[in-house]
Amino acid sequence: MVGALMTVLSGSIIYAMVGLVTTMFGIAGLYIYLNAPFLGMMQILIYVGAISILIAFAIMLAGPLYKKPKEWTTGTKFIVSLITALFSFFVLSKIIVRSFWLQATVNPFTVSTKDIGRVLFDKLMLPFELISLLITIGIIGAIMLALFSKGEK
Amino acid sequence: MTGTLLYDNLNTYLFISVFLLCCGILGILYRRTLIGMLVSVELILNGAGLNFVAFNRFISQENAYGMIFTLFIMGIAAVEAAIALAIIILIFRKFRHIEGSEIKEMKG
Repeated sequence: MVGALMTVLSGSIIYAMVGLVTTMFGIAGLYIYLNAPFLGMMQILIYVGAISILIAFAIMLAGPLYKKPKEWTTGTKFIVSLITALFSFFVLSKIIVRSFWLQATVNPFTVSTKDIGRVLFDKLMLPFELISLLITIGIIGAIMLALFSKGEK
Repeated sequence: MTGTLLYDNLNTYLFISVFLLCCGILGILYRRTLIGMLVSVELILNGAGLNFVAFNRFISQENAYGMIFTLFIMGIAAVEAAIALAIIILIFRKFRHIEGSEIKEMKG
């Protein structure tokens, strides 16, 4: 949670990226608490390994941000966005407190990687293939965007 | 053993994901650069994934659909980050900055 606050509130964008990595490690720890160690490992691999590196490359490519490291905007904008966030936080937490979830008895519940893979290839074959298709299309689209716009300019 | 009690409670995880969601909303509204907004979107997606895994853990324990859905969310987040960064690089080439509030080309 400290990492999330640091992500949002820090002035420089490099610190925001460090905060994002901290948050991702925290969420991976929570996944391991929730008896999903495979998801925790995937979280560390994907977010800490891939996405933060991607964002770091973008920060470096996007030029000299260090000339104006503080991006504190006007106070009214900050106050308005803070009010929005706090309002939604209070509404949602009131909903959480009031709602009564039928809580199952906490069993020793472990889903192994084998179970996840079995369900993934047994019942959820079509979404899995669609996700892979989407990732392929996305990567090709990103490469096309980055390559072929230089000639048009 | 209050720590284990805290971590065996569903509401704890719901509060954490609400906190992540609100941090993301605050970041999207408040950040000026596009990369900051992208990072905030990642926070929101992570809150959603945490919710899925928590409900899978505490409400329906007989299958692992929540975890698989979280895996899908991670894949979609990766694709979204890649495409958004490509767009950010394009915008940087065109405008020489990446500040979202000062892109006025498509303003009507």
